[in-house]
Amino acid sequence: MLQVFGRYVRSVIERAAEEAQEAGSRTIEAEHLLLAIAAADEDTTRELLAWAGLDHRAVGDALQREFEHSLGTAGVTAADQEVLRPRRGERRPSDAGTSAKLALERGMAAAGDKKDLRPAHILLGILELRAGTVPRALALAGVDRRELRARTQAAISDDGRQGPPEKPGKASR
Amino acid sequence: MSGAEVPASRDPGEELAAVVATRRLADRMEDVAVEKAMRAGWSWSEVAEALGVTRQAVHKKHARKLIEAGVRLRRRT
Repeated sequence: MLQVFGRYVRSVIERAAEEAQEAGSRTIEAEHLLLAIAAADEDTTRELLAWAGLDHRAVGDALQREFEHSLGTAGVTAADQEVLRPRRGERRPSDAGTSAKLALERGMAAAGDKKDLRPAHILLGILELRAGTVPRALALAGVDRRELRARTQAAISDDGRQGPPEKPGKASR
Repeated sequence: MSGAEVPASRDPGEELAAVVATRRLADRMEDVAVEKAMRAGWSWSEVAEALGVTRQAVHKKHARKLIEAGVRLRRRT
């Protein structure tokens, strides 16, 4: 299981680095991890996000809305759409920023034992963030972060009880 | 860009998010503005002076991006 988790984390971080580059960010942040998770081919997290009405595109839209909303809070309305559009960075970031580190730390800490780590722990860590871009974007998208977090925790413990994950026979909700 | 007025203070979370968003906006505005200036034939030194940073700083931050965007750059003077 640890191997499966390790492979998953590597692929998510790799994808998150691409997302960060697309957004012109110099570091990988929690929102890039969330985009990467939404793009990943992993059943549990995909189902959890789908429950909240989220896929890769919806997460991207929510993040853009959060950006524009927060600018509005500052009294800034950017009429020039060119400025609001993300500009791809010239190099792919390799460092995780504070928000991504925090999400990874919290996600990993939620597993009592390394061998209990599941892909959904990364999503859980992101959902543990209480302030900042991701929780705000989720709130603006009408996602109940606490409920989604509870469902994620439940999915992880169901998975733990089932033992090694097998593709068919998903735990019922 | 249009109007910027400082609104009455709100929830601290909103205000902190506004700080993050305006920083990011400033970064994007810098990218756009530097590219426009360089396309208009400004030198690195002139752009640096206008931004209040060193020429090295502006070159390091923007040169590769501009070359990739196909901007013909003047010599680094």
